[in-house]
Amino acid sequence: MKALRDKYCIVGVGETEYSRASNRTTRAMAVEAVRHAILDAGLTAGDVDGMLDYQGGDSTLANHVAPDLGIRLNFYMDVMGGGSSTEALVGLAMGAIEAGMCQTVAIYRSMNGYSEFRIGGTGARAAQPVRGLDLAQVPFGMRSAGQNFAPTFLRHMYEYGTTSEQVAHVKVAHSKHASQNPKALLKERVTVADVVGSRWIVTPLHLLDCCLETDNATCVIVTSAERARDCRPRPVHILGVAGRVSKPRLDFHWAHGPITRVAGYYAKDIVFGQAGIGPDDVDLTGSYDAFTFTTMLQLEEYGFCKKGEGGHHVSSGVIELGGRRPNNTSGGHLCEGYTHGMSMVIENVRQLRGTVDDYCPKAAEGVHTYDYAPGRCRQVKDAEIAMNLGWAMPPLGSALILRR
Amino acid sequence: MPQPVQYRGMSLIVPDNDTEWKEFYAHARAHRLVVRKCAPCGLLRYPPTHACPWCMALGWNWQEVSGRGTIYSYEIVHHAIQPGFRELTPYAVVLVELDEQRGQPTPDESLRIIANLLRPDLTPEGPAEVAIGKRVRVIFQDLADHMALPQFTLTDEPPQGRVWRLP
Repeated sequence: MKALRDKYCIVGVGETEYSRASNRTTRAMAVEAVRHAILDAGLTAGDVDGMLDYQGGDSTLANHVAPDLGIRLNFYMDVMGGGSSTEALVGLAMGAIEAGMCQTVAIYRSMNGYSEFRIGGTGARAAQPVRGLDLAQVPFGMRSAGQNFAPTFLRHMYEYGTTSEQVAHVKVAHSKHASQNPKALLKERVTVADVVGSRWIVTPLHLLDCCLETDNATCVIVTSAERARDCRPRPVHILGVAGRVSKPRLDFHWAHGPITRVAGYYAKDIVFGQAGIGPDDVDLTGSYDAFTFTTMLQLEEYGFCKKGEGGHHVSSGVIELGGRRPNNTSGGHLCEGYTHGMSMVIENVRQLRGTVDDYCPKAAEGVHTYDYAPGRCRQVKDAEIAMNLGWAMPPLGSALILRR
Repeated sequence: MPQPVQYRGMSLIVPDNDTEWKEFYAHARAHRLVVRKCAPCGLLRYPPTHACPWCMALGWNWQEVSGRGTIYSYEIVHHAIQPGFRELTPYAVVLVELDEQRGQPTPDESLRIIANLLRPDLTPEGPAEVAIGKRVRVIFQDLADHMALPQFTLTDEPPQGRVWRLP
């Protein structure tokens, strides 16, 4: 099914500051991020008539965000969910436009992910009563994302001999990328020794294997390729999308093994099939880094290396700027800030435009030095195809392939 | 509706109309580990759900299982999220593969269950004792008149397969 390949584009991207104390509402942040994306696209409020957002009871719905900006909607939907929603909603936006319900869709995520509802499960989330399916895990002290994923990561080490040092290279690479990103919360480069020497959170995750809970809002705008021609920036075309693809037994994925297998096992054929390309054609990736391990597991499941060889792959230099296929060139969730996946799509859009916002003085005009030293450039030279590997949990993920 | 069970700072809620867990916990309180067995096809499933994932039949019965199994994976929590677990850190959470129905109906399927690894007296097992491949058996932690948590403890049976723990 390649019917929609190249028919839709991402034309606008925007975000707020990444911080750990926004001191404002998710409504205020969402409005700012959507506005930035509309201006980035060279559109006006009257050009946007669709809105999609996702959240987990921690954000502001579209019916409050759109009117603030004077946007009258022909279509909107608020979706429950976190990671892997970005790519899925890009696909839904394409479907809504294709169905004739609307013409241009703004997709946003807004969260006070550090100062209010911590994704890690502390604060407001930890105080919630435990009922239903949560009873299968939460009473045993297994509530946060890291605690929920750790047995998958550990089993990978058991089955394939993956080491903490290998996986630490994901953080090392992303910290290098963040050192060239003025927006990043953590700009300091770290070493493998720093990662494996940081304190244990839950084995096999050290502190530096975990991402940074962050306050922020983010937005991407999807419209038809036809309308994209009238937008200000170079349009970035959507080649393929897979949304919230699941393993069997999504309710309790431990029942269906191998538990080291992640949803990309099923998503890859959908997304590569639509795009008509394979992993070798991809110039850069945004493999979701809620944890160092999630980047690795997805890269191997989508076929960027053989299953089980992810540890070697991520520690080989391939995923670093200057390597064969850099991953999360913004620094990702580990270093730039945690956005539930949106920032990784935003970064790939900017990369494909050639206007990534690094420290190059004329970055906005697409003039880059390709000097990947700290405080310099992070533009990938001649990037043509970028892929996002969205992660929600081991049995649930999404994917998106974009081209220049 | 029974009062929420207070356990380590959490409110565990199992209302009268809870069609998944209420009877499961009543059995656990009588120190029986039960799973659902599909009436037509006989396959077991956990956690409690409403249709058979293999034949879609709605009919089922509770089936007691031996409670014996093997540690399939685990984690040691050093940084507790829930305040009531802080005094326990570092504590072990284990993914136990039960002996019944291993590798059935497909090689990828097994009955697996999450619990803590405890000593027979319900105190936490030392993290250094936790390893993939070690054999365990169920024990029950009574929380209220109508509720107990199935937990697991090490046995002296020989391990199953390679024994490994994170160095």
